[in-house]
Amino acid sequence: MLRPEEMTRVVIVGSIEGIDNTVECLYDMGALHLIDFTKQDEDFRLGKPLSHASDASQKLVKLRSMIRSLDLEEVKPKKKFSVSEIESRLEQAIITLDLNTGGKVESRQRIQSVIREKESEITSLQPVRSFGIPLEIYDGLENVSSLVGVCRDDPEADLSGRIKQMELFKEVRKDSVSIALFVPNEEKATVVKILTAHGFSEAKVPKLKGMPEDIIKEDQQEIKDLETDLKRLDADLDKIRKDFADFIVASEETLSIEVVKAETPLRFAESENSFVVDGWVPNSMWPELQAAIEQKCCGVVYAEALHPESQEETPVKLKNPKPVKPFEFFINLVSTPKYEEIDPTFILFITFPLFFGFMLGDLGFGAGLAALGAVIRWKMKDSPDLRKLGTIILAGGLVACVFGVFVYCEAFGVPFHPPSNNPDEASWENVAYIPLHPLIEKMQNVLELLALSFLAGWVHLTVGFIFGFFNKIHHSRKHALGKIAWLLILLGIFTELMTMGGNATQTSKFLNSTVLAPLMPHSTILLAGIKTAYSALVLVVVGIGSLLVTEGAGALTEVIGLFSNLISYARMAALGVGKGAMAFAFNSMLFPLIFHGGPGIAGILIAVAGIAALVVVQLFFVFFLGSLSVGIQAMRLNYVEFFLKFFEGGGTDFKPLSYERKYSSTT
Amino acid sequence: MALDVGTGLALIGAGLAIGAAGIGTGIAQSQIGAAAVGATAEDPKMFGRGIILLVLPETVVILGFVIAILLWLKS
Repeated sequence: MLRPEEMTRVVIVGSIEGIDNTVECLYDMGALHLIDFTKQDEDFRLGKPLSHASDASQKLVKLRSMIRSLDLEEVKPKKKFSVSEIESRLEQAIITLDLNTGGKVESRQRIQSVIREKESEITSLQPVRSFGIPLEIYDGLENVSSLVGVCRDDPEADLSGRIKQMELFKEVRKDSVSIALFVPNEEKATVVKILTAHGFSEAKVPKLKGMPEDIIKEDQQEIKDLETDLKRLDADLDKIRKDFADFIVASEETLSIEVVKAETPLRFAESENSFVVDGWVPNSMWPELQAAIEQKCCGVVYAEALHPESQEETPVKLKNPKPVKPFEFFINLVSTPKYEEIDPTFILFITFPLFFGFMLGDLGFGAGLAALGAVIRWKMKDSPDLRKLGTIILAGGLVACVFGVFVYCEAFGVPFHPPSNNPDEASWENVAYIPLHPLIEKMQNVLELLALSFLAGWVHLTVGFIFGFFNKIHHSRKHALGKIAWLLILLGIFTELMTMGGNATQTSKFLNSTVLAPLMPHSTILLAGIKTAYSALVLVVVGIGSLLVTEGAGALTEVIGLFSNLISYARMAALGVGKGAMAFAFNSMLFPLIFHGGPGIAGILIAVAGIAALVVVQLFFVFFLGSLSVGIQAMRLNYVEFFLKFFEGGGTDFKPLSYERKYSSTT
Repeated sequence: MALDVGTGLALIGAGLAIGAAGIGTGIAQSQIGAAAVGATAEDPKMFGRGIILLVLPETVVILGFVIAILLWLKS
């Protein structure tokens, strides 16, 4: 939590005969993040693939081509095969498959291509089909040109007025006219102009001999015969697919793993008789890895830990408790933190659901979102990212329920009890009396919501600056002290906001008499008509002074930025009120239709229409759009306001040598 | 409910503050958003940075909201 997994830099050195076992051991443990060897010299060069790499690659290429030709890309085997079974059957299976599929797949492709050719021939003969002219005529006359195609409308009247000698065949269809026109060569240019005016598009007549009708019939018969052959072939291939699909996919997986393993030495350093592996291992796994290597390689390979001076290139493996893990999703969207940086996942785990719940704050919508999150978690087992997102939505929905029940006391935008200033407003009292009363009425206590938002902002940004201090302290004390200066300015601005709030909100009243009491927020002076606390003024001035010393004059321009950062948290109040107002507006428009639609069937129909409209608008505008904007804003407050105070990112992800077996097992 | 002219003007001011700020933010976000989506399409890792740049102009509308609330409370 807050810090990534600690890493040890290790070097594994051994005699070349131990390389196979070392690679095997490294992949079995899945603990080493390999550093590629690049600096070749006289003694050490890049390693060579293991002896069985070439054989495994050849088999893999064959299997992959079978997977493509048998359309097995999407197949997910129902049973697992053991690696030993795959190894013993593979050779024989490849021969059998070669014999049974090779010719058939090619024949199938040939038949499909012939069918396509015949179909396109039929399509190109369609325009001239009804004219009853042998095809050789269209292309075989010396002094006469033929024009075949489709016109938008009938060109006959235009043509007969301007062309003396011509032979026109036409077939009028619903929205076009097919024509075949024969004219002397010298008239062709004029004819083309006339036809263009009628939207003529030329069709190429295939260079064949005979009547189009006869050729079409022959083609159709041929297609029919070919389709029968195709069906027979497909049935044969289906049988092969059924018998071998699972085995082929499982073998492909096993061979892929074999090839990756066998090619790993290409990233090692190798001399005539020895090899060197350089990499990082999580501290917690180092003793186990060291023992495993020394045991498996029978004393010909040794592993040692190093103590590097710089931690800059250390890969990062985030270390968080299980409930916090899904929130690493947000970190992955931006950038991996550097090894020496603080990992903010835990803060996101607290702030995201809290901000989300504060803004959404509704039992009905919260429960709906929690259910949606639970369904995503349950259904999307294959997609880790979506599962994480499901957990995040579930957490946000649950906190929104808590806010909905205990703070705002409302469900689906309808309050448990009518608000104090509008006793006639529809509420859940019409259905049942719920013995809970709101701590904050969204539509009435906007100032309270604002004060709470600023409080959240102050705490959030303070944590951000504290993280910033610890991130910088190792590199530059001056910059770390700069963060303290920022903290002073932030405290000054917040004190001033609470002074302005005074007794108008419970939050400011409480803070002024407790947390901020030592700063005496009640001793004020009027500055430009604004009641300003002395302490706030002193904090801001001292903060700016310290900033000049630590960060330089350039940083002063960002003071306004810090002010707008804090004000930015007002979005939490804005969204809370906005969502409440939207739900209230829809409810107050549609409830009269539902409950006072009028007597008789017409009244019932109006009520049903009202309910349908209410469900649609509440679902779309308030639930989906509302939750989306609330989620984006909760994320934004973390990404922009919080992260920019300390987070640099750009770390390297910890990617150990490992593999995942889904369809095969080693036992 | 009868309102005096001053209150009415203050409320119109509140509406303008948040409305105009919203339009301004919208114009800024439309251009940044288009660029950010383009960048994310080329490299999904740009999503985080894209979001950060996209949401920067939102501060304008939040300031508009705060001013609107202050005017509303004063009216």
